[in-house]
Formats: sequence, structure tokens, C-alpha cells
Amino acid sequence: MHIESMKDKTKGKKIIPLKAPHLLHVPLPELFGNKPEPVVETGKRVKKYQVIGQAKEGFPAKVHSPVSGIVKKIGNILQADGKDGLCITIENDYQEEIDETQEKELVPEEYTSEELLRIVKDAGIVGEGGARFPTAVKYDVADQEIKTFFVNSAECEPYLTADYIIMKEKTAEFFEGIYLANLILKAKEVVIGIERQNKELEDIFAPFFKQEKYKDYKLEIVPDEYPQGGQLQLIDTIKGIKIPDDASSADYGYIMSNTGTVYAIYEAVVKHKPLIERIVTVSGEESDNYGNYRIKIGTPVGHILDTIEYTKKDPMIIMGGPMMGKYIYDLDTPIHKGAGGVLMLKKENIERLSCIGCGYCVDVCPMYLIPMKYEEHYRKKKYHKLKKYSIDDCIDCGSCEYICPCNVPLMESIFKGKSKLKELENEAG
Amino acid sequence: MRLDKIVYNPFVRADESASKVMTDVIIALIPSIIISTLAYGFYPVAVILVAISSAIVTEYLFSAIFSKDTKSIGDGSAIITGILLAFTVGPFTPLYVVAFGGATAVLFGKLLWGGIGRNRFNPALVGREFMTIFFPVIMGSNFIWHNKEVLNIKEITIFNNDFFDHIFYNVSGSIGEYSSFFLILGGIYLLIRQRISWHIPFGMLVAFILLVFVFSGYDLTYSFGGLFLGAIYMATDMPTSTSSPKAKVYFGCMIGVVCIACLVGGVTDGYFSYAILLMNAFVEPINWALRPKVWGRDKQIFTRTWQTALITLAILATTILVIYIHHLDGIKYLIYFFIVYSIVRFILMKMDKNILESK
Repeated sequence: MHIESMKDKTKGKKIIPLKAPHLLHVPLPELFGNKPEPVVETGKRVKKYQVIGQAKEGFPAKVHSPVSGIVKKIGNILQADGKDGLCITIENDYQEEIDETQEKELVPEEYTSEELLRIVKDAGIVGEGGARFPTAVKYDVADQEIKTFFVNSAECEPYLTADYIIMKEKTAEFFEGIYLANLILKAKEVVIGIERQNKELEDIFAPFFKQEKYKDYKLEIVPDEYPQGGQLQLIDTIKGIKIPDDASSADYGYIMSNTGTVYAIYEAVVKHKPLIERIVTVSGEESDNYGNYRIKIGTPVGHILDTIEYTKKDPMIIMGGPMMGKYIYDLDTPIHKGAGGVLMLKKENIERLSCIGCGYCVDVCPMYLIPMKYEEHYRKKKYHKLKKYSIDDCIDCGSCEYICPCNVPLMESIFKGKSKLKELENEAG
Repeated sequence: MRLDKIVYNPFVRADESASKVMTDVIIALIPSIIISTLAYGFYPVAVILVAISSAIVTEYLFSAIFSKDTKSIGDGSAIITGILLAFTVGPFTPLYVVAFGGATAVLFGKLLWGGIGRNRFNPALVGREFMTIFFPVIMGSNFIWHNKEVLNIKEITIFNNDFFDHIFYNVSGSIGEYSSFFLILGGIYLLIRQRISWHIPFGMLVAFILLVFVFSGYDLTYSFGGLFLGAIYMATDMPTSTSSPKAKVYFGCMIGVVCIACLVGGVTDGYFSYAILLMNAFVEPINWALRPKVWGRDKQIFTRTWQTALITLAILATTILVIYIHHLDGIKYLIYFFIVYSIVRFILMKMDKNILESK
């Protein structure tokens, strides 16, 4: 499905560091039921890069302080998914005093893959494409043979240019990040996938492909289709293999990472910087100050609006892209490691009509599901039918509701249906 | 804090709406309306206008009484139902009969089922069946179809070839059937605008034409105009047709099969109507058996073939039954049953609001 890209607004904007806010709410996101625990106390001073959250067990990535300052509060702040999430609120003292506990001096080639993996883990790196799965866990493939390492640079969401701008401006760092990641993975083949609309990157990449280090890397230009940047879709486009949604792609010999993630790996290994900031596209309708900003994790959305002098009244604020992003209810909601964008869109009153069975959603569903059935069966409370119609294979891409001429609440039915099914399964034990 | 009302993605939407879909269908039908005036001037237009008005008024009154929400008038679906209903009747059908058809079409074809999108059977054809059952003498008489005295243009010759000239313009049958050419033209417009896909008309036409050859010994009489009207505009009605490519092709093919079965079985009138309404009843199981193969999952060829075979058998059995009932002159009892069923269903639905309301 083709969607108007809207990327031209920010494609030409250089990366600008956004002034750090006075207060940051650094999230400690849960993963598979495990939470990173705060390892600092309220009232204590923290240094920049200092570990402030760490899980006792399970997979969650480490969380570091993006600034130096005082821990003001440890408590719940409304997150981008509309739920409360534990955050460490830090009052920035603008001293930028760095925690020097990390080792220095390095020639990446001298690192073993175990050491690199540990650096990635210690830097708290997670997938920056949105899913925020800890990269060190993903890369811990042990003896598994990896055929192909994919760098997912498709960035198929409209408006977003965060990945694009890294590739355009930080090309050397981007390539070095890929190289470092592949020292861990040891994949035989490295493929970078970009969309046709970003084809101009080919010229920027050309000199790098000539270098000895990167000469075997391949660039794949994929169609401007949504959701081309979905892991399964990209692998299929490039390799022609449809991996089931619940399978591990590593079992097929494939590992995929997002542009921002490999850039973070570069920063962690070469610059000793844990993941405390990321590139965020700030865009939407009508503002002069839209662009690609380097924003500290934990920066409240309200601070971004103030800094770019956004004056329009009552916009709809979205974190992430407009297709899969989350609606922001509270200006205190902080930027997290997977947030590629903050968008200010026009608030619209959506008139919901009944499904007329046009079948457009069936035509566009990338997973070949029948989305309209989810609305019908959720409405009728026939939850077992959701399962029958493979709701678990849905990747939440939003294509169905995007195309729906009747604005049927498909995504609401899908999200609520999925959590209802989970509830029922838990009850059943 | 827990939010009761989460706003879900996506936050951008395609520039689409139900009324845009409906407008396109109306645009596609306009050339055929114009052609009908070439033949009989204002007579067909009167039938069309009465059918539309009756459909709209009925929908307005019904919505005002039962749902206090009359917005649905704006979606244009009642207009389409009106036009399509008028297209299936003769230009000299008494206007009060047409009004009855328009009203019953939206009432029993759509509103009692929960409004647009929730209906199981093609509203225009439901209206037509009601007219046939409740005004059998008028609908069965010859005068409603043609009147030489008011015929404006008898024939148009462009191609020097009778067949193609008849495809272009042929005053016979119902209002919508005069020009296969303009029906196809409208169909191409709908294809380009992606309001229909090629699957259903293709399946229906191929199955129909193949079977016409197979049963060439039976001397079947049918109209091309009716075939295209059915294939392009009736069988593709969104809520009452199948929704994925394979299911669409199968659905179209089976309409063709049922049509021929009716013809061979001696049902000479309204066989398209029977075929489409009958297949409407099987949309749900067809959609399930021939649903797309989910990404990365099993084809389940065996289960699906088995299910499709069962559905095919059920369709054929129902067809034979309907032909039999038709010859016994018992279709009216089916319609009476349908009336009772729709009303009871509506009352039950009103009691359980969850089914009616979209959220």
C-alpha cells in the first residue's frame, strides 16, 4: 500500500541537538513482565551516563542518566501507550558531569565478540525501530549461524526521517556501527534496505562500498510501500521468504537491526556513550521549526513543543509515526528509546460508520488477514472467533484502518481483542 | 491514571469515505440512465426517481423512528438501491408498485438487518422479489416492458453488425439492460476507481458463457444487458458479496452456475435475481473457506478443498430446491418467511444493543 510520504518537510534538516530540559522523566520500561529496578535514590546526585535502572532478572536493558543532576522523584508518569510507567525524574544541573567508570582506548578489531556484546548490553541499547527489544539479547545468538544481517533502513512510516538523516549525515558512523554489529553476529552477508524514495543515499553510500571493510555490503532498494519496514515484510521483499509472525528470524539465519540501533552501537563502542539520546523527527502540520533533533531519552514532549516554539492550539500529538505511533495525552510523557518521531497533527473528528464489506482492508493487510472480522467479532463479543481469524498474526501496522472508507474502529477492536484474549487465557490458566 | 478512552493508531487516513464509494457507483450508472431516456423518454426516469425517492423516504422515516439518527441518508446507498431496483423492472411499471419496491428494498434489504453493511441480501433484488410476489399480475404482464407508441429511438446502427449494435443499444427487457456497452463502460470506471475488482464479474461471465456452450442443446434465452447488469453492479454489491480474491472468483463463478441451472431448470424470469440472492446467503462460509492464506502459515489445502466442496454441494442442492419451489409457485412462502425472520431478528437485535451499535 502506498501512503503519501510527507518526509520532504524534514529530509533537508540537519541534526540539531535539542536543548536539554530542566526535568527529565527517564522511563524504566517493562519487558515480558520484568522491570528494570531503580538503582538510585530520590535526592541523590547522578552523573551523566550513570546507570540508574537495571533489571534483577529477565531481559530489560539498562537505563542510564542522560544528564547530571538530582533525582527528584521515582514514580509513575503517563507513557506514550496510554498507561502509567515507572520513571526516574532527574533535575538537570546542566553540569554535564560524566560518569567515568567506563573503560577507554579501543581499537574495535581487538575486541572479541563477547566483549562487544557486553558493551552493547552495558550501553542499554534496544531496537530503535519502535519495538525496543534489547539488542544484546537479540545478538546473543551463540552458535547459531547467521546468514544475513539486515540493516532495516526502510523507515516506511510517513513523516519520519530520523533514520534517513543518520544515513545522510552520519554515514561513516552508520557504516562503522554495522561493521561492529557484524563483528558480534559474524553474518556472511550484510544487506542495507532503503526505500526507493530515499534512493539519493545510494550516491552517499557509494564511497563506503568501495572501502575494503564494507565492500561486501549490499544495498537493496525496496519499494515505497507501507509497511515495508516491518521485519517480516523486509525479509520477504529482499529474500522472498515469508517467516511466520511467531517464529524467531534467527532460526532462519536472519538478524535485523534498525538504522538508529547500529548508530547507537557505534556511539557505545567508539564514543563510550550509552543510549541516552536518539534522533527524533519532529514534524507535522504547519511549523517553521520542524526538523531532526538529537533528543535526550526522558525529555517530556511538552519541552519539545516549547523549544521549537510550537504555537498552534490543541494539536494531536503523536509519538512515533502516524501509522503505528501513540497518541500523547500528557505533555509530561517522555521520549523513549524507540520514539523515532514526535508529530503535531490536526485533530480530527472521526465519524465511525458500519463496515460496508468493501474488502479494502483485506486487500491491504500485509499479513493476509481479514481485519473487518476483528471488528465484527469483537463487537459481538465472540472472542474465540478472533483467534480463529488469526488475530495473533496481526502486526498492528494500521493499514486496514488507514484505507477503511467507513473509519471502522479496526485497530481499537484489534488491540482490545488481543488483550481480552490474553485476559481469558490467563483466567483459564 | 487509567484512560478509558484511548485514541488508537493510525493517525493519518486515506482520502476515502463511504459516500465517495457510493458517488462513484452512481456516476457509473448515469450513462445507462441516459440511454434509457433515448428509448422511452421520461418513463424510465420517472420509475428511477420514484424508486429513489421511495427508498430515501423509507430510510429517513425508519431511522427517525428507530435509531433517532438520520445521518445515514447522506451516504447515498439508498440512491443506488433505488437506481438498481429501477434498472431491473420495465419502464411502464406502475409507479405505486415501484414505490412499494423501493420501500421494501431498503426496509427488508437493509434497514431491518441493522443498516448499511449489516445486510445479507442485495437490497435492490430483495425489493424486486417483493414486487414480484405482492404484485404478481402486474409484474407478470407484458405492458410494463415495452410500448411501441412512445418508443423514441428504435435502434442505433454504428457498427454495421447486428451483434455489436445490440450490445450498444437494444430496447428490450428492463430499464437497465438497454445498453451492455454503457454498463461495461460504467464497470470499467468502477474498476479504475477500485470500487469493484475484476474477480466477481470475471468469474460470473466466464462461468456463464462456458455453461451456455455446454448446454447449447437447451436453447437458453438470456439477455446480455441483464448479464452485465448482474455481473458488474448486483453481484459486486460490497456488503453482500465475498471479500477476498479467491472467494470473489468462486462467488462469481457460482452465480454463473446457478443462473444456468435456473435457466436449464425452466426458470426464465428473474434467474439472475435468484442466483445472486441465493449466493448472497453463502457469502459467510465462502469467505471462510477461501480466505487468504495467512503470512507464513499453512495452506491447509485439504481442509479448504473439503470445505469448498461441501459449500458447492450445498449451493447446488439449494438451487435445485429453489427451482422446484419456483415451479410449485412457492417462492412467495419463502418471502413470507423472510419477512417474519427479518422482523424477529430486528427485534432481537434491538434488545441486544451490542449487535447494532458499532461500539
